[in-house]
Amino acid sequence: MRNSNKVIGLILFVFVMVSCKKEQHIGYGLENTNVYEDKSRKTKKKNDAEYISILYTNLYQTPISPNQLYKTQNVLYSIGDQDVASEMLLSNYFNTGSIQMPSNALMRQDIEAFVINTYKRFYLRYPSEGEKAFFKQYILKNSAVSVEMVYTAFATSDEYQYY
Amino acid sequence: MNRKNFITKSGVALGGGILAPYILPSGRLFAKSGSQKADHVVLVMFAGGVRQQESILGRYLEDSQGVLGAAGNIMPNLFEGDAPTNKIAYGASGPGLPDGSVPIPKLLTQSMEKSGLLFPEVKAQSAGHYVGLNTLLTGNVGYSQGLKVRPAYPTIFEYLRKHAGFKATDTWFIANGIGNSSPLLNSSNHKDYGLNYGANMFAAPVTFSSSGKEVLGNSKTYSRTDLEPMYFMKNFLDQSFALTQDQITSISNTDEERTRIKDFIKSVFEKQQAGQLAAPPIANSGDAKNIMYAAEVLREFKPKMLAVNISGVDSCHSNFTGYLQSLHRADHITGWLWQYIQNNIPEMSGNTIMIVAPECGRNENPNPILDQNDWVSYDHSDANALRVWSLMLGKGVPNMRVGAAAQPVGRLTDIAPTIADIFGILDPVTNAGLIDPLAKSLYNRI
Repeated sequence: MRNSNKVIGLILFVFVMVSCKKEQHIGYGLENTNVYEDKSRKTKKKNDAEYISILYTNLYQTPISPNQLYKTQNVLYSIGDQDVASEMLLSNYFNTGSIQMPSNALMRQDIEAFVINTYKRFYLRYPSEGEKAFFKQYILKNSAVSVEMVYTAFATSDEYQYY
Repeated sequence: MNRKNFITKSGVALGGGILAPYILPSGRLFAKSGSQKADHVVLVMFAGGVRQQESILGRYLEDSQGVLGAAGNIMPNLFEGDAPTNKIAYGASGPGLPDGSVPIPKLLTQSMEKSGLLFPEVKAQSAGHYVGLNTLLTGNVGYSQGLKVRPAYPTIFEYLRKHAGFKATDTWFIANGIGNSSPLLNSSNHKDYGLNYGANMFAAPVTFSSSGKEVLGNSKTYSRTDLEPMYFMKNFLDQSFALTQDQITSISNTDEERTRIKDFIKSVFEKQQAGQLAAPPIANSGDAKNIMYAAEVLREFKPKMLAVNISGVDSCHSNFTGYLQSLHRADHITGWLWQYIQNNIPEMSGNTIMIVAPECGRNENPNPILDQNDWVSYDHSDANALRVWSLMLGKGVPNMRVGAAAQPVGRLTDIAPTIADIFGILDPVTNAGLIDPLAKSLYNRI
């Protein structure tokens, strides 16, 4: 009996030692950061289907249907100047009224935040200081500039065609 | 001002005055080498594979189907010759009459042959559609031309934009669809030319289809005041991204030209809706629709150079009756387009040259496929498929017939240098060394 108590005690001791280890915290001195595209690395051109699909999802926050994608792709391909085609497509979208975008008032409340968010939304990167300054000044000085205009400029720009 | 300064400034002003009119938007000196013969050229790419026998030779069913007494001309707007009187199946349908038994009345008071320059026997460089279309537009034989890629050699559009300084909306290609290479023919991918000098393009049956209307027809009409900031911001973004030459994948217009094209597209949808599009009397074919949209482009932009592609006759692979009907309709719509320019576009009337040519011919011997009339069909791959014709009429074009069936004169590669010649840039085009060395301006074939 006395021996068996010793054995049980020994087993308990071994379990306690093996199952409970002190947690080790390893740190490398790095800070958390978000990863965004760098424009200089965007070298691959989106094909028509990618461009339309990405644009649609960006604006409506919902994917385009395969049938709609097919039709849009063919129509865009049928026009020689792709800027003309995309500008008209966008303008058609803007006329539907269900696009997910901030109001003009919200844009003017905090132009810097709007510019940063627009760069992130369309280009998946932060604007450079020069880019930020350009848009801040331009929007500030031109009261007629709307969110729709800014979005049109971004969505039809060359950089938006690349990833 | 002292005497020395006066002489220096006068010299600079005089030199500038002499040189300025010859400096192109591209920054190059005007390379014009000859006098301009007309302000506008319309090229009808009478494509799809046209047999000499049923077109210029007016043999109708006599050669193709062995029906004796059934010869005759079914292309009265283009060529001279009496219509067939036997087994009429190439026309339209009339109430209570057999299909195709009513020929479409001739539109032009005088056939194009009668008022223009006809080369009745021309050598095509290929028996295939797309190499043939390339040949018409590039002046190169295009033997190594791949399918579904842009032409390897510069098109006439690029030569005109580079050497004659034309802007993008001065040059148009109206394609008849988006299949195969059709929508890529507005520009080559040649390193010295390419999309920077390409033509505007619509694959009109798609752009202006019901899908086109759904995708583009509800677009907003922005005012110039709205567009200005959009373009300003876009141009800033584009300059910042700075595409290199080889990354450009679309032709580009100026902001003003883009706005004009967008307004044009919207106006065509509106006209469609209101039933106000100008149309030939018989407009029930895809080719007719394409020609109608070409007419709209001509009316709006008055381009210096427009090429339009039709191809309905390609049904000849399996339906000879359909081929005859398409051939007859192609003649009808080509005549209509010429008439439309003369009667409805004063800026182009009397100042335009039209060139009409197939891209290839068709075989001498048939394949075994029979159509509804038990008529055999024809493909295009033998020597007969290299027999074609070309026709040119308009401002200052002499009325002549050059060559004959037994004495071919000219090559299909002549078309591009002829257009270059009309606009006075034959030398720079020839000197670029990218066209068929045997090609000549048709003016030099006379």
